[in-house]
Amino acid sequence: MVSSRVIRNLKKEFRQSGLAKLGLALVVLITLTAVFAPFIAPHNPTDQQLDQSELPPIGFSQTEERTSSQMVDGEIQTVTEEVEISAEPDHVFGTDGLGRDMFSRVVYGARTSLVVGVLGTLLAASIGVPVGLLAGYHRGRVDDALMRIADISLAFPSLVLAVALIGLWGRAAVNVPDPFVVAGLAPEMPESFVLPITVVIVVGLVNWVWFARVARGEALSLRGQEYVKASRALGANDNTIILRHIFPNAITPIIVLGTVQVAAIILLESSLSFLGFSGTTLSWGFDIAQGRDYVSSGQWWIASIPGVAIMLSVIGINLLGDWLRDALDPGIEGEGGAA
Amino acid sequence: MSLGRFALKRSLQGIGVVWGVVTVVFALRFVTPGSPINAVAPLDASQETRQAIAAELGLDQPLYVQYGQYVFELLQGDMGRSYIRGQDVTTLVFERLPATVELAVAASVVAIALAIPLGVISATRRNEPVDYGATLLSLGGISTPNFWLGIMLILIFAVEFNIFNTSGRGVDVGDVALSVINAEPFVGTLLTWLAYITLPAIALGTYFMALITRLTRSGMLDELSKGYVQAARAKGLPQTLIRYKHALRNTLIPVITVLGLQLGTLIGGAVITEAVFSWPGLGTLVIESINQRDWPALQGSLIVIGTSFVLVNILVDVVYAYLDPEVVTD
Repeated sequence: MVSSRVIRNLKKEFRQSGLAKLGLALVVLITLTAVFAPFIAPHNPTDQQLDQSELPPIGFSQTEERTSSQMVDGEIQTVTEEVEISAEPDHVFGTDGLGRDMFSRVVYGARTSLVVGVLGTLLAASIGVPVGLLAGYHRGRVDDALMRIADISLAFPSLVLAVALIGLWGRAAVNVPDPFVVAGLAPEMPESFVLPITVVIVVGLVNWVWFARVARGEALSLRGQEYVKASRALGANDNTIILRHIFPNAITPIIVLGTVQVAAIILLESSLSFLGFSGTTLSWGFDIAQGRDYVSSGQWWIASIPGVAIMLSVIGINLLGDWLRDALDPGIEGEGGAA
Repeated sequence: MSLGRFALKRSLQGIGVVWGVVTVVFALRFVTPGSPINAVAPLDASQETRQAIAAELGLDQPLYVQYGQYVFELLQGDMGRSYIRGQDVTTLVFERLPATVELAVAASVVAIALAIPLGVISATRRNEPVDYGATLLSLGGISTPNFWLGIMLILIFAVEFNIFNTSGRGVDVGDVALSVINAEPFVGTLLTWLAYITLPAIALGTYFMALITRLTRSGMLDELSKGYVQAARAKGLPQTLIRYKHALRNTLIPVITVLGLQLGTLIGGAVITEAVFSWPGLGTLVIESINQRDWPALQGSLIVIGTSFVLVNILVDVVYAYLDPEVVTD
């Protein structure tokens, strides 16, 4: 499946393209952050310290008006004074309205984004690829039915459909114990990772159609190839042909689509958490929604910083997708996969 | 097949898809836990009250009767009555639809007007600083969540510089047109309209600007390397004519198709942009209806969104067939 020619192309393209290097670096950085979050985060991301709230990031300071009552000449007067709030070295990205450390929240948010992005993509591919391969290989009525289902599901924007399904089905979440914390390596950190399971299922159900379309197209063009005909003449049955001959040769565009889909699902997940349709409160989209209320009062960092994190991860994954596409098959056009 | 027959065939297929959309939307209620009666009945309602409500809403009927009745009424333009607002859903949806269309069109116009020249310049000056700039800009554009961009625009232009409005719609585009007829201050009305729509249109349009720039750039590079362009150059045709009349025209055909398919993304993006800017469109209605379990309003909005997508795609296909007659013979 992965021939030496493919690896040679990947290396050649990687050496030539600065953007591919940047993409890989970003993806590696975010993956390591997500995996080793308990060791990277300096604070527990859910710990509230109300006396430390709204601290600006390092390098910034914030002036705030505070009113207090004081006794002046025997009378009580309200005094307004400007207080300068400076950054604490302990909170690199500052703190949010409840005094939670923004840097730790950004680090932990990477877990939610990446896990939902990867699991959602795997679910979408595991529905879409078999359906698409079967439809494209057999053609006829199965194929017609698939194409109509695809048309209908494309008529609903992913975000609208996802919001509707999650809103109606509920925001279920599963607590997955964090192995590092269980092993006692990072005792201060949250004991479990909250996996928003409904979100994973819904983004998979909403995006399978892109995989079905690509897999179908590949199967349609491969079914007429000589080696497929030869295999059929030798008495191989249809399922064997699909599994042994069609699928391995269709894998390249599916991998490229899968990469783009991880990025699209990360954007979709952040939109859903922003709108309050998620099962977790430790997510970049959720923090942007929280920070939105502070924008007009001057605490710009609460909404800004998590957005930069989303942008860098999606840029990284998109660059990785471009690299794979250019190296594996210059003929594939970029299609589909937006939030 | 003639263009007319092609259009007819696509329309008939479209009707089938719309029927599917209606059926899926109707079925949604039956794969959702909890009875729709809960949205209407008081918490302490007796069994009799609940039955009376069910009878009034037609929920006591067998499924196929409910479905038949829903489709029958829909064909007459009746989408029922909102559980929460007590208003006709058809009226409600068509009150909200123009705001969403206006936002989506404004975003597309901004996107297309900037992206096509940018894509062309980027392709004709390949590997020059302009090209790198456009590539980075479009990479950033397709990777930025639009709701976050909206908040950043509010932060910069509304909070820091206090130039634009950030909430609501002010006047609609019809008011701007009417101000000319009614001899009202046109410039003032236009500025009010711009003050409200500019930021949401940029927030929603940036992704599409980036996408179209990428598509135009790669399409132009592809076209400019083809034989007919070299022949035209050899013949001594001016560069601008070759670029804009021949190469760009062929580039735009696939760009249009991708845009048709991405219309869902545009509407989905409008939903969240509306939430950021309190824009009174269909998106806000969808979210409110879900939270309140207002089934008739939710179903009506989803059907109108799905149907618009199908209609626009038929239109795109017909335009495509007109530009590239080979499609019709497939």
